[in-house]
Amino acid sequence: MMKNIKKLLMLCFASVALYSCSESYLDVNTDPNNPTEVGPELILPVAQVYTANNLFGNRSANTLGNMLMYNWSQSDGFSWYYDEFEYQADATFYGGIFNQAYGSTLKQYHALTTLEGAEFANYNAIGEIMKALQFQILVDAYGDIPYSEALQRGENPTPKYDDAEAIYDDLIVKLTQAIATINNAGASALVPSADDTMFGGDMDNWKKFANTIKLRILVRQSGMASKAAYIATEMNVITNEGSGFITSDVVNNPGYLNEEGKQSPFYADFGLTVSGETQNNGQATSASDFAVATLDGFNDARIDFIYALPVDPLGAPGEHVGVPQGILNYPSDNSLEPEHVSLLGPGILIDSTQDAPIFTLTEALFLQSEAAFKSILVGNAQALYEAGVTASFERLGATGAATYLTQGIPNTGWNASTDKLEAIITQKWIALNGINGFESWIEYNRTGFPANLPVSMLATTADRPVRLAYPNSEISSNSGNLPSQPNVFTDKIFWAN
Amino acid sequence: MKTKFSGILTLLLAFVVQLTFAQGKTISGTISDGDNLPLPGVNVLVKGTSNGTTTDFDGKYSISANTGDVLVFSYVGNTVEETVGSESNISFIMQENALEEVVITALGIKREKKELAYQAESIKSDDLITVNPTTAAQGLVGKISGLQINVQDNGVNPSSQVLLRGLRSIGQNNSALIVIDGSRATQGAFDDLNPNDIQDINVLKGSTAAALYGSDAANGALIITTKKGENNSKFKVGLRSTSTFTEVAYMPEFQTEYGTGWQGEYDTIENTNWGPRFDGVVRQVGPTFADGSFQELAYSPIENNLLDFYETGTNFQNTVYFSGGDENSKFYMSLGDQKSEGIVKRDEYNRTTIRVNASQKLGDVELSLNSSFFRDKTNVVGGSIGSQDRPLYWFVLNTPANIPLSSYSDWRNDLYASPDGYFNGYYQNPYWAIDTNRDTDRTNRVNGNIQASWEAAEWLNITARFGLNNASGTGKNYRAVQNYTGDYTRPDAVSSFVTDSEFQSTIYTTDLIANADFNLSEDFTLKAIVGATNYTSKFRNSTLTANNLSIQGFYDISNGTGELAATVDETQSRTYGFFGEATIGYKKFLYLTASGRQDYTSTLSPENNSYFYPAIGVSFVASDAFPAIKDGPIDLLKVSANNSTVYNDLPIYQINERFQQSASFPFGTTNGFFVSPTAVDADIKKEKINATEFGLNVSMFRGRLTLDGAYSKTVITDNIVSTTPSVASGSGAYLTNIGELENTSLDFTLGAVVIKTDGGFNWNTNITYSAAETVVNTIGQGVSSVNLGSNIYAIEGSAFPQIQATSYERDPQGRIIVDAANGNPLVGGLKELGKTTPDYVIGMTNAFSYKGFTLSGTLDYRTGHVYYSQLADAMEFTGRSLESVSSNRQDFVLPNSVINTGTAANPVYVANTNIPVTGGRQSYWTDTYNDIKENYVRDATAVKLRELALNYSLPSDIIKNLKLSRVTIGIVGRNLVTWLPAENRFSDPEFNNSNTNAIGTGGYFQSPPTRSYGVNLNIEF
Repeated sequence: MMKNIKKLLMLCFASVALYSCSESYLDVNTDPNNPTEVGPELILPVAQVYTANNLFGNRSANTLGNMLMYNWSQSDGFSWYYDEFEYQADATFYGGIFNQAYGSTLKQYHALTTLEGAEFANYNAIGEIMKALQFQILVDAYGDIPYSEALQRGENPTPKYDDAEAIYDDLIVKLTQAIATINNAGASALVPSADDTMFGGDMDNWKKFANTIKLRILVRQSGMASKAAYIATEMNVITNEGSGFITSDVVNNPGYLNEEGKQSPFYADFGLTVSGETQNNGQATSASDFAVATLDGFNDARIDFIYALPVDPLGAPGEHVGVPQGILNYPSDNSLEPEHVSLLGPGILIDSTQDAPIFTLTEALFLQSEAAFKSILVGNAQALYEAGVTASFERLGATGAATYLTQGIPNTGWNASTDKLEAIITQKWIALNGINGFESWIEYNRTGFPANLPVSMLATTADRPVRLAYPNSEISSNSGNLPSQPNVFTDKIFWAN
Repeated sequence: MKTKFSGILTLLLAFVVQLTFAQGKTISGTISDGDNLPLPGVNVLVKGTSNGTTTDFDGKYSISANTGDVLVFSYVGNTVEETVGSESNISFIMQENALEEVVITALGIKREKKELAYQAESIKSDDLITVNPTTAAQGLVGKISGLQINVQDNGVNPSSQVLLRGLRSIGQNNSALIVIDGSRATQGAFDDLNPNDIQDINVLKGSTAAALYGSDAANGALIITTKKGENNSKFKVGLRSTSTFTEVAYMPEFQTEYGTGWQGEYDTIENTNWGPRFDGVVRQVGPTFADGSFQELAYSPIENNLLDFYETGTNFQNTVYFSGGDENSKFYMSLGDQKSEGIVKRDEYNRTTIRVNASQKLGDVELSLNSSFFRDKTNVVGGSIGSQDRPLYWFVLNTPANIPLSSYSDWRNDLYASPDGYFNGYYQNPYWAIDTNRDTDRTNRVNGNIQASWEAAEWLNITARFGLNNASGTGKNYRAVQNYTGDYTRPDAVSSFVTDSEFQSTIYTTDLIANADFNLSEDFTLKAIVGATNYTSKFRNSTLTANNLSIQGFYDISNGTGELAATVDETQSRTYGFFGEATIGYKKFLYLTASGRQDYTSTLSPENNSYFYPAIGVSFVASDAFPAIKDGPIDLLKVSANNSTVYNDLPIYQINERFQQSASFPFGTTNGFFVSPTAVDADIKKEKINATEFGLNVSMFRGRLTLDGAYSKTVITDNIVSTTPSVASGSGAYLTNIGELENTSLDFTLGAVVIKTDGGFNWNTNITYSAAETVVNTIGQGVSSVNLGSNIYAIEGSAFPQIQATSYERDPQGRIIVDAANGNPLVGGLKELGKTTPDYVIGMTNAFSYKGFTLSGTLDYRTGHVYYSQLADAMEFTGRSLESVSSNRQDFVLPNSVINTGTAANPVYVANTNIPVTGGRQSYWTDTYNDIKENYVRDATAVKLRELALNYSLPSDIIKNLKLSRVTIGIVGRNLVTWLPAENRFSDPEFNNSNTNAIGTGGYFQSPPTRSYGVNLNIEF
């Protein structure tokens, strides 16, 4: 027996040594749970969901804009929004707008634009168009940002900051190229289908969308005398291209449904939970006094869709109640508690499957109206303005646009409006209330409209911030390139100077 | 097969050893030490038999033997043989010889301590389990220099982090390697051991000591040897029983001047304390119900209203053990049982441990089995509960000072405690949470090895060892729905779910070792080891979650509505290596050791997966080289030096960037994957650790004073770090090799027999000193800091880990700059606020013994570090901080503040004497003050009385009459007293949110710290 044990020992020794040395022994490092390669059809829908989340997720661009633009306020019993009301636009304020744009959205689109091969032409183009949309948002909020060296991952962990205006110019170039890429896509090019959760693979719509983003970029610079010739040239490029602008809302909807994590992002933020319960976020977020007064003053039927009538009205039935922004001393009769004030309305907060609006038709029409008014685009400014207001009524579910537009109240009826630009931007502010507050804020920074927009009661400055401070993440990880922090109340983005 | 079976059978039969007892006359005597004092605990054995005993506290023994028998007296590595003649008394002086002490080193190989070129320190069973801790890690605290144990909390089943000489890695594992009975194991296996089963733990403090373990050696090792029984010993049956009680040691210190309210106004449903000053007036508490009724309470602070939420926990541990052995076999078996109830109502933890260790000699082969089976069952309140997914403590902390929390326990029947009636409009009743939100799991672990050791020749031993560490478990976590019917402000609704999970973790290790001793000449000896080893680790984890359950209180996956959420994760890694070590000894006072290991790993690309780990060391026993040294008080003087290079391996699957399914996908037929947030360096390699250590061992006054110390310096390059690049690079993390870290440490243990009197009074003291610091020399690649989560960073040029947080802006004189418009301090950028590992830790254990009584205590002192109290940060909002009442909730001029009357470019700072802060009533505190996280970084210094025990061993004559061999009873206490600096009024700074390298963040995820006390009993037959 002893000898056998010794033999066994030796056998063990030899077999383990031999087995260990075999080449396949160490070949176990392939992750069985996560793939190293996926097709573009699995990348695109995630990117588009990210785009929607960047606009409508919790404390994202839309919320920021609605707060800074005094559209929304806070019901009694909550302390949700003091940073917003104090305009505490420091490096911790809404850093997600920067971080999620690069860390999620742009990263994901970049995986599409860097696909090589003729078969990926359409995906390349979609990626470029959506990147342009996102980069414009970043420039409008931050000015100079990482662009030419951005998104190179390990190749360049600390990308330099590029000049905001130069980025704007390049976005126009990229969008023109994207349209050309679509037009030149060969028969071998894959055409997205259901995986394109915005247009379902309709490449003509992508061209229209590209032109519309160009329009937003060009109109934004329309006050810059130095760019007049450039804008005229680029507007001609759009006109000559011929696809035109979007003719309906550009929305994202991958098939949002009433499941954890799958609700439409705006609804997930403010609507009912999957099990049908109200969320405090929806209770805390109310109409503002100024917005209610303005809409009432305009006899604007949209008020019942932008805001919901109080559940338990203390005043006259059918009367909306807004809350002053930044109020600290809520009335002791509890009259500003959620059930007594106007919360978010049925035209914007619909259900868990609602579309996430990425670019509304109404905004596109107001942009065309302004371009026509400034004679940088051929068109009837009044007709486009009225179409914009009408589109807004329709998207919210309100009626009476035609009558509304005949009112003699400035900034409603075209003819009654002495300052046409003010009318266009004021109506854009109403049309985007709750839908794209961020764009309203940017347009306010450019034009100063709507006029007489109050500041929060907690403000210590005469007006709201005109930009965001660079986030802490950049201070700690890209300090070598980061420009000095701007004064967020006075250092306007280049197009406003 | 037949022979293999018979071998195993023999092994199993060894458990049923037939014991025979020799007959003859009785020999007795007294064994004394070098100072002629009685020496208890000397083993006395009749050679060739199992007949044995040990000396008692008076050094006395008696044993039956025949004339001509040889008695073997052994004590701490020293052995004396005496042949029985005609006499009936054999007494002599036995030297304790620390030098000859044999320790278990890497790979289970025994070495004399004086040969070792590195520092190792061991702890024996009795010192480990003085107060019967539930885990061995708790019993190590303060007793070994260079060793730091961090705990996450004082829960019923805490996990621990074992650090030796601080941190050496920013991004990779820093925990010591765990080796149980020669086979590589895991932290989990260590935590699951019954501490009573441990014979000793030898702590190899540096990487050189552990270099033979290859990539796992970087952080030193704990070499754990379990009890084996002894050859030629009598059959022993013992019982060790402990009952302890656990209670909250202290709660955070909060203000008690203001209660429920908001902006200075009383509010009936607030969780915050921004109301008016307490006035004792009876007021409404909670909502007004439909019938117009409401609860009324006096508006005044209630002492201990949060403390009263917690209960007294209990812990009962029983271990029954058997051991024995004859000439060729020995065994140890134990059965352990632990039942614990936590300080949180209904928190329960039960565990059962079984150990079977046995060995059998068959000629020149010894077969042995070391095995343990462990199972436990945990049932605790959910970790993240309620509408905000918060820990339970959060709900307790969000109870204002005037609310009698413990009166709301009957939430099912008492309207005021019910979901609709509970006073708090923002957080659920924690008693509801306890009853309806549970995290439960059961785990099983089989850990052990079988070993065949062949004495092939007098000079050659070949050992094969196969180890298995298999853990598996199932868990079920569930949450109940909470909806409301009242039309007044209530917390967000809570949706229900049940999650079923399973995991399986299997680790196989195989070691083959040939160990040879040669006497090359009269002066030279050579000890050599060659061997091969491999290691395979497999892990699988799956979870299945069903949401929005149809039937309330029924927690099964079938009860869910909507889509099920499921995850499965599987991982596998393998390594193998070949190693060798040679030690050349010269005249038993100079030893030179060199070792090397070639390692191959599965986690790197095949072209780049092989690494060589060299180590070299020298040990010089000066007191033997120059015996004249021993003429003085010194009886041992040894110096050692060593250097080694080891590498930290890359975790699995990291070399490739992987896509992952996006969280909300699939939407119907549309699936989606996202690009990995982590970019990976294509040339990534292992991180390199080069360590140099100098050691000193001194023993004086015949072992009454010993000093063992070491200084080490470790340089770590090619750190595998998930750096934080600019997010604009399109990646949130970049995994690469960067920078240089330098770890220096100084640790020593001073042991002294302070008093030893003829009357039997002994005072032993053991003092440990551990200082370790890790500095980030460079990071490189344009990056100057790496964030490890929360506020913890690795920052170039600073000690690691470092807290960095928003700070006050200060003028050149250090005065706080305030905004001239509103008097509020400006929120400055991120500022380094201190390191989170101590400058040094001093541990002290004292034992006083007299006539069977032993009073022993261990305390430790940690200082020189800070921690970030999330608790204090979070509680600012609730208005419970003492700071928030420092100015009576009025606006006040910030002391020692300035305003800038110049421009941003050319500042002129003028003392601020008249501009008060804005919102002193509330918003100054909740916004401005709370935005400056510097306010919550506090001194982490702590002195803790870790252990205190008073044991009494019954005198040997009484025991003998009772036919027992040992009876000890005692009272024990753990963490009875903690001293914290005044500025830390919150919690135990040792608590951490995770066992990662992001040390130094804790607060509300852990329940309050506890202390425990109880009784223990040890009987041996």
